[in-house]
Amino acid sequence: MTVTQRSDADPETGEVLTRLSGTLDVAIDRLERARPFAKGRYQGSVLDVIGRLVAQPGGLGAVRARAARMDAAGLFAGSDWDRPEVLLPQLVGGTLTSEDPAFQALEVASLARFLAVADGDATHDDLHQEGARHFLTQVLALNLRDLFGAPDEAARSLGARHDLKRRVLTHIADHVGLDDVLSVLVSEIWRLLEQRSVQVGVVKDMIAQIAVALHEKGAAPGSARLGAERLVSALFGPTTASRDDPGIEVYLQRISVADDSGLSREAMGFARAMHDTGLVSDYHAAFLTWALDHTDRPLIPEALGLGSTGLDCWRHYRGLIERLVQSAVTPATPQAAYGLAMLLDRGILHHAPMVPALERQLSLRIGGAARERIALGFGPAVSPETQLLAGVLSVLGQPLGVGQGANPTCQSARAIALWALNDPDYLLHLVTQVAEFDRLQMQFEGTPIDSADLPQGLAGSGPIDADPVSVLLVAHLDRIYAEMGRLCAGRPGDPHQWINPQFHGWWVARDCAVAVDVGTGKLADYDGFLRRFFAAYHPAYNGGRPLAHPQPAGIAVTDAQQRFVGWHAIAILRVAEDQAGRMRVYFYNPNNDSGQDWGNGVVVSTSGQGERYGEGSLEFEAFLSRVYLFHDEPLRSRSGSEADPALIAKVRTLAVASWAADRQDQH
Amino acid sequence: MTDKNPDKGYVALLGWSLNAIDAVDRFDRRYVVVAPPWAQDYCKENDIPFVPWDFDRLNERSHELAHQLDDMGVDVAIPLYEETVEWAGAINAVLLKNPRLLGQAMLFRDKSLMKRRAQLGGIRVGVFEEAHDRGDVIRFLKRVNQTLLKLDGDPNDPIHFKAFDKSGTAGHRVIRTPEDVDNIPDEEFPALLESHLDGWEFAVEAWIKNGKIQFLNISEYVTLGYSVFVPATPELEAHRARITEEIEKLIETFDIEFGFIHPEYFLTSDNKLYFGEVAYRPPGFNALELIERAYGFNGYQGLVLAFDPKTTQEELDAFFPREVEDAKGHAGCFGVYPRRRVVSRLEVPEETANHPYFEFHELSDPREQKVAKRSAFGTHWGLAYFFGDNAHDLRDLLKKQEELDYYV
Repeated sequence: MTVTQRSDADPETGEVLTRLSGTLDVAIDRLERARPFAKGRYQGSVLDVIGRLVAQPGGLGAVRARAARMDAAGLFAGSDWDRPEVLLPQLVGGTLTSEDPAFQALEVASLARFLAVADGDATHDDLHQEGARHFLTQVLALNLRDLFGAPDEAARSLGARHDLKRRVLTHIADHVGLDDVLSVLVSEIWRLLEQRSVQVGVVKDMIAQIAVALHEKGAAPGSARLGAERLVSALFGPTTASRDDPGIEVYLQRISVADDSGLSREAMGFARAMHDTGLVSDYHAAFLTWALDHTDRPLIPEALGLGSTGLDCWRHYRGLIERLVQSAVTPATPQAAYGLAMLLDRGILHHAPMVPALERQLSLRIGGAARERIALGFGPAVSPETQLLAGVLSVLGQPLGVGQGANPTCQSARAIALWALNDPDYLLHLVTQVAEFDRLQMQFEGTPIDSADLPQGLAGSGPIDADPVSVLLVAHLDRIYAEMGRLCAGRPGDPHQWINPQFHGWWVARDCAVAVDVGTGKLADYDGFLRRFFAAYHPAYNGGRPLAHPQPAGIAVTDAQQRFVGWHAIAILRVAEDQAGRMRVYFYNPNNDSGQDWGNGVVVSTSGQGERYGEGSLEFEAFLSRVYLFHDEPLRSRSGSEADPALIAKVRTLAVASWAADRQDQH
Repeated sequence: MTDKNPDKGYVALLGWSLNAIDAVDRFDRRYVVVAPPWAQDYCKENDIPFVPWDFDRLNERSHELAHQLDDMGVDVAIPLYEETVEWAGAINAVLLKNPRLLGQAMLFRDKSLMKRRAQLGGIRVGVFEEAHDRGDVIRFLKRVNQTLLKLDGDPNDPIHFKAFDKSGTAGHRVIRTPEDVDNIPDEEFPALLESHLDGWEFAVEAWIKNGKIQFLNISEYVTLGYSVFVPATPELEAHRARITEEIEKLIETFDIEFGFIHPEYFLTSDNKLYFGEVAYRPPGFNALELIERAYGFNGYQGLVLAFDPKTTQEELDAFFPREVEDAKGHAGCFGVYPRRRVVSRLEVPEETANHPYFEFHELSDPREQKVAKRSAFGTHWGLAYFFGDNAHDLRDLLKKQEELDYYV
């Protein structure tokens, strides 16, 4: 790393700053002189001085000016920070508030090095100017809250450590500028929104931070600002009467005196913003509640932005829908409005059991432990019944928006999503069982299973960081799933073969193919496995039959370096050509964010390649290269042709380059 | 790597000191580290020339090591720790073909012999005696206080107890009462007992070549076991001429031709200099680092010059600066001990952190330490370093540190 002198270096004013900078130079001198094997002895004193220097006004500038020299002197030798190219921006925030001042100082010094490279004041063998800039931008985006927002309870408890973090972030922002940060953040938010997750707390939080940033910093105009404002207005002022974010009370006064066309404009404004982002503004929720009592004219279909199917449902089931709005859409649960709109447009109210099932849901009283768990997860703002009903609407409206949270329960999350998609009345049946009796009954090949009799599964007493339906059901589903596993003990092969149809429903194909031998973990007749997948799922080889029901499948997840991460449960939804004519597999991943890089160009797309909300997609061969288990009908007419051996070889190569590297069969 | 001068000496460093290795690796002499076998892997990884050796009690195998080093072309062995002083003597007796060096080393290793030899050489020492058990210590404590005409019930004047073969403050106890005597563990006997001298305690670091002092530094103790700084205050430096004479007496008495000594002295209120003890190795408390901070030369490299038989006078003159005059300031350090029984974290006191003389610290995290009850002087938890222009301010600042909590 070399430094070029910079004429407009930070002015080091102040006697203390000058003195401490001098002391830092002394400490760096010692470090610089030391042989590589003795660096460790002198790093501590450098970090100690950095810690005191950054507490001074202008101290960060002084550290930045010396960053390249400190790096070259060996400050990072022997630590992860010695390789800037592998550092993770998401870890920076934690280290900046570390209890150990040495770690704080180390992170500050490392950021100062990135800054020096990003500014073009220094060069580094393993770090390009663009790379450094990108890294810092990500750090800022990930810590925007600390940059602007008023400190929350957690930040306050950190005291001086939080102050340091804030000053470091501000210093970086002063150099890198916020435009980049906003655009990174805005595109990240849009990417997440396009997946239409049921849980939007984090996204709403980020948008609130952007709002504060725009307000306080008045970032320069540009496309980033436009995108940001679109998000902010969707949440805080989507319509003419709410544009200035006047507060609910003032807003309700305004619309109470509005004329018909004014109200219509409000309703359409809300609908447009909601369908644009998947987010529901608090004003929108207030408007819907207000509209229930507005007898002149029904505004709800307009405010929900219903399409023809939804409008048809409205005409048939207006009473039920109004009661759902009444009970589910509150200031604490605005997202229920979006769930309801999507539910209506899916047309599932025309499915005979659904109306009575929702009626039952409306009158449901949650008992005992289930009640406590919902209250624990969502707080006391509204009753657990309201939370659950809102959750039910969201899950039924956005089945593919169900996520597992930070819990090892992909199987249960997938089941909930698939039932919401495929068997919505069954899902409501399960919800009622657990809500009323805190137990869940299923059967495995005729053997009754009752979750109340079973020990806790992977999820313990259940997640509380998921949607209300998951919070209610997952603990029980998880136990039942585990019990089904126990009942399969001793059977040869992968137990999912029997569990999946029993657990999910008749529509899971009864036959099952597994890529690896369960005993050895090695690939077993892998080419046969691949040919069978082509024959079952690829329209060109299965006689052009589309997939009627979603099918559970198992994938070997790999990271961006193609290293095996673990087995994961997903569901194949459909196989179709995208706009460019490439055959793609569209699938559901219960992981909260489907957009993942699985290495070697296998990057899951979540929008722009023909995906519907919540779907991830990959080209057929790329997808297949990560599949290790799929279901297949035992009775299938051999109508299609055999897959081309070149295609099979292509998929094998992709698999063997990644998760199957050390699992190769004798081939 | 610095180019090594093939015309110059080849030295063996006895004992494991990363600071010493780092300094010598940057110097123009070839070297080899002789240290316990656990250092082998580290040396291999870092290309540090290494001979594994267990420095237990000196034994007949010293001859074997001496010949091994001789075969490698080593000219001289430099002891880095008290425990390797006699090994260096034995090895150098062979390498330099001077059998007297072993006997000389034995004198440095036995505090009682050392003191008697000094006394014979006409050097003023305090009252001292050897102790083989606790009875000896009680007797000495009583006799000293009787001599001072203390009555029963008067607080005793303390005496000092120093394990024979321990260095620095390890094994150094101040004894005031018979209970203190009970607390001495068996393994610290035999020991040297000394009367307490009220006065100004200081140490000297002297690099010697051809029987002549090449550089003499006076390290002023603020409080023994806590703090030291260099160069000393003008008041102590005023005695430099007398101190130099005393060192020359030591050189003559102990027949020192080359190397490095680190003696301790008392300057009493009646203006007399008392010799405490002398070590033939670098001082603890990172005193060489303080000297480097103040004068800019590396003490370990100075050590190599002073030991290497091939060093020329020109080299020495070029290497060492002028005493006191060339110092850029006063450098001091403070050994931090936790003052509370229970501590949870390190927090440099604000008034220290904000003081312009404070440079940095090398204090360990409390999560890695347990607070032990201090019996002997024991080991500090790390050092805090200071540097400034005014010796008196520095001294007062170091003194002040004793009342501050670094660990809370």
